[in-house]
Amino acid sequence: MNSSPIPNTAPFAEKEIEILNRVVGPASPTQRAWLAGFLAGMDAATTAPQLAVGVQPAEPLTILYATESGNSERLASDIGKVARKMGLKPSIVDMADLDVATLASVRRLIVIAATWGEGDPPARAIRAYGELMGKGAPRLDGVEFGVLALGDTAYAEFCAIGQALDARLEALGGKRVIVRVDCDLDFAQPAGRWIETALKALAPVEEAGRGRVIEVAFGVKAASSADLGPVEAEITELIELTSSQSEKETIHLELGFDGAAPPYKPGDSLDIYPENDAAYVDDLLKAAGLASDAALRAELTKGRDVTTLSLKALESYAATTGHQGVKALLESGDARAWIAGRQLIDLLQFFPIALAADQLRQVTRPLAPRAYSIASSRREVGEEAHLLISAVRYQSFGRGRKGVASGYVADQLKKGQRLRVKLQPNRHFALPALDRDIIMVGPGTGIAPFRAFVQERRATGAGGRSWLFFGDRHFTHDFLYQLEWQDALKDGSLTRMDVAFSRDTPEKLYVQHRIWERRRDLVDWLANGAYFYVCGDAKAMAKDVRAALVRAYADVKALSVEAAEQAVNDLDREHRYLQDTY
Amino acid sequence: MTKELSRNERIKEASAYLRGTLAESLREEITGGIIEDDAQLVKFHGMYLQDDRDLRGERGRKKMEKAFSFMIRVRVPGGVCTPGQWLNIDHIARTYGNGTMRLTTRQTFQLHGIIKSNLKATMREIDAALLTTVAACGDVNRNVMCNPNPYQSPAHAASIALARALSDHLSPRTPAYREIWLDGERIAGGEEEVVEPIYGKTYLPRKFKIAIAVPPSNDVDVYAHDLGFIAILDNKHGIDGYNVTVGGGMAMTHGEPETYPRTADVMGYCRPDQAVAVAEAVVTVQRDWGDRVDRKHARLKYTIEDRGLDAFRAEVEQRSGVKLAAAKPFTFTSTGDRYGWTESDPNDENDKGRAHLTLFIENGRVKDVPGGAQWLTDLRQIAEVHDGDFRLTANQNLIIANVPKDKRKAIEALVAEYGLATRASALRRNSMACVALPTCGLALAESERYLPDLVTALEQRLAAHGLAEDDIVIRMTGCPNGCSRPYVAEIGLVGKGPGRYNLYLGAAFDGSRLSKLYAENLDHGAIIANLDPIFAAYKSERRDGERFGDYVIRADFIAATVNGTDFHKDTGARR
Repeated sequence: MNSSPIPNTAPFAEKEIEILNRVVGPASPTQRAWLAGFLAGMDAATTAPQLAVGVQPAEPLTILYATESGNSERLASDIGKVARKMGLKPSIVDMADLDVATLASVRRLIVIAATWGEGDPPARAIRAYGELMGKGAPRLDGVEFGVLALGDTAYAEFCAIGQALDARLEALGGKRVIVRVDCDLDFAQPAGRWIETALKALAPVEEAGRGRVIEVAFGVKAASSADLGPVEAEITELIELTSSQSEKETIHLELGFDGAAPPYKPGDSLDIYPENDAAYVDDLLKAAGLASDAALRAELTKGRDVTTLSLKALESYAATTGHQGVKALLESGDARAWIAGRQLIDLLQFFPIALAADQLRQVTRPLAPRAYSIASSRREVGEEAHLLISAVRYQSFGRGRKGVASGYVADQLKKGQRLRVKLQPNRHFALPALDRDIIMVGPGTGIAPFRAFVQERRATGAGGRSWLFFGDRHFTHDFLYQLEWQDALKDGSLTRMDVAFSRDTPEKLYVQHRIWERRRDLVDWLANGAYFYVCGDAKAMAKDVRAALVRAYADVKALSVEAAEQAVNDLDREHRYLQDTY
Repeated sequence: MTKELSRNERIKEASAYLRGTLAESLREEITGGIIEDDAQLVKFHGMYLQDDRDLRGERGRKKMEKAFSFMIRVRVPGGVCTPGQWLNIDHIARTYGNGTMRLTTRQTFQLHGIIKSNLKATMREIDAALLTTVAACGDVNRNVMCNPNPYQSPAHAASIALARALSDHLSPRTPAYREIWLDGERIAGGEEEVVEPIYGKTYLPRKFKIAIAVPPSNDVDVYAHDLGFIAILDNKHGIDGYNVTVGGGMAMTHGEPETYPRTADVMGYCRPDQAVAVAEAVVTVQRDWGDRVDRKHARLKYTIEDRGLDAFRAEVEQRSGVKLAAAKPFTFTSTGDRYGWTESDPNDENDKGRAHLTLFIENGRVKDVPGGAQWLTDLRQIAEVHDGDFRLTANQNLIIANVPKDKRKAIEALVAEYGLATRASALRRNSMACVALPTCGLALAESERYLPDLVTALEQRLAAHGLAEDDIVIRMTGCPNGCSRPYVAEIGLVGKGPGRYNLYLGAAFDGSRLSKLYAENLDHGAIIANLDPIFAAYKSERRDGERFGDYVIRADFIAATVNGTDFHKDTGARR
């Protein structure tokens, strides 16, 4: 190897080139390789902008995100990268970690906020959101801001959190420099356009890169290298876990992969790419007068969300067809109430009109995958992944309805068939160090990630204790994985288990009642540093569990309600209160 | 050589008067079961650990343990309860049980499908209803039976009083029941004192059953009981005294001829005031003489066979201080119930004018059938207005008893409105089935869920032969243990395997003679094919008033069984 490998043209002073040559010249291949990796890693790790010689210090930009499924987080990361290239100095802040007071000293602020369930903030953002909306929020005079809202038009309170934050930042004195955009599940393009506009608006005037087109597929790819895109999996086992006399239908699915399973960790999810129910698609095509269009049938079955009925869909339908009835409904102000419990098929059947294929496409959106928490640990099951899926079935307006993804699994999939899945890492719902205690609250299908946790802890011989709360309707018919928990209690991978079955007794009994009963031990475990995990229903359960824990603290430690709430908020802040709810 | 005591003897011995580790077993939430030894002990508290056998096949695959639940049996001496108690049991059945009440062949309630987490709440409700389940099962004296129809009011009042006295006197004294189910705390010092003056630490070698019969009705099947009292009436319709019977019992095991059903022997006669002392002596002799090595040879019937009736009588007389007199004559006419209205003895000043309505309840199952009969609801509504009492019969039926004259029309109207007085055929009215599948752990074949269909098929054959109105007693059990007393039925069907039954014929209509095995392993078609020609012959050959069970012996279809020891001899069809 040349003893002076560093060329004179290198962007260093002559003296520096000499020093570098002295080190690099005689270095062994191993040393050089290490150095190369080290330097590359150093760059990747730092958030400092890459300063070109002679360029002025970068302007700071705060990117704040409130995420549940990880989309906002990925968008924030993408914006950060582009902002850096444009000469801004981005700092990315998870709302879970936000100290609201620090916002006052921010100059530029981008907020990416997801709305969850019935107009709720993501669970991890509840605390900061509450503080920001509350009386103690700081003045934000002069802060330039823009809000990107993520949501799902299937829900009535579409993008409510983004809208509320947008209004709140203005009310606190902030200066809106970009108009908010509300994105549906297919957010990639509108979000990309918004980000471009936003960065242009926020970038310093003298920034040379302004106006340049930046090619980024915003938010589509995970920042993590673990994202390998959709893969095919074979169903090696499909068992209805609930008893044949259960009112429910909960399915245990075992997936095998050609070769290695996606490199998932306990707490991660798998996206399932479902197909629509063939009979439903037929009904829809018949209602649209398009029953003979085989190509459209295939497209709708595999690629379009043909069930969700949103206000947006109603508006598109009125616009594209000019249907007077739909127009009247929209004008009456009753549209929101009308769509509740209805699906696209109801719109077409209630306000029938012959449609062209494109018109039908216009009232649908792309069929989104559905994420399910992985119920296994690779350390125990090898190159497999297990899922737990509850079939959603109900009647409304005289029609039997079912969940798209769960219906696909329950009604269309059989052992031996294949389906497409994609890993969705969830670093916010991971196991702590082996010696830490964990408390897991997972009623219904919320039990899934905890099966992975307990398997992982068994395989790793973790020393920390583990305590599981499970609940469902009936002990006899809905005790998911009962024999496995009995084994886990015997072999010590599970220390303790409490159960609550709501329909076995005259008064409904839920996990939060068990939490209250066991409050002394629970608070004791948490005082010992235990991690508290909640998985399952977001609408009621997660809130009830949190409230029960607040009451537990208040009672056991003789605290005021405010102090008890603070104690639970502290768990949040320490990342020891972790939720994966839906 | 001393043989090793049976496992149950060791469990009882170590249980500290029926406590065992039941309290701990109940606290274990992750299993619906209890550990094996506790499952034996819990019987003494009136319950069995069972599982839904319909679901057994799928449970392991679904990663769930067996679908465990408990059957709880109440103790109701003589089958008499108040409308309030009926409402309490109805409430428990709907709240914690499987939504049905089972009226048993031994005049009590069984509640099915109660899961472990609901046991204590159920037991507290039963206690609040002033009922108990203690000793409803287990190696103790169980529910004391007694003819429940008060139409012979003075005699009935005396016999029901005796049933209650016997029940109380022979009830276990251990505080474990209250501790475990009701109070939750162990009563201090319980171990030191003599807890069970009659039973001792290990109770009886096996279950022990008592019945009191009031002739001419043998509805209680007095001969099928370990200890029986047959009332001898005085000329004022009161009770002069009792013939005492010992050594009856039904259970046997397929393929083990050393086990057999046995009709009781009449041991002698005692006065009413001596009955409790005699009963206690019979119990303690059996406690000391009974076989504690082989549980299949532990009932009193084997003690009597092994030691002889004379030796047994002498020991009972010695222990009780009662010299038994010679048995007095009596006549039984049938084992069935008197359906419809009966009236109290007009000579009885106290009961004048009261009437009693016996309702047929097929196999004793009180339930609401979706889209069908709503017996549970209907009887609940009757219980809400009725101010007499409810009486559970030994044939799994129900008497709405002690209806005052002015209320009779109202009750009648309710019964009519709800369609409770449905007309059942003579065969169906005389039919009885045990519970068997899906809850009973012993069942080898269906019983309660199948007998109604079999009866329907047999009704058609009987009608074809012109026998539709003839009372013939038919009983079915899912296993040979005999809960519905099939060996004293004119047609007995005993489960052998899924869909297969052994057919027994030749028992007496009044329950005084055992039947005998006629054909084995019959399926539905074969049962009918075997019985049909006998029905035809009975119709054409029978003598005036000749009962089916007597006819098949005289016509030599089957040999007569004189008593238990020849039950397994000369079996099979003879003609």
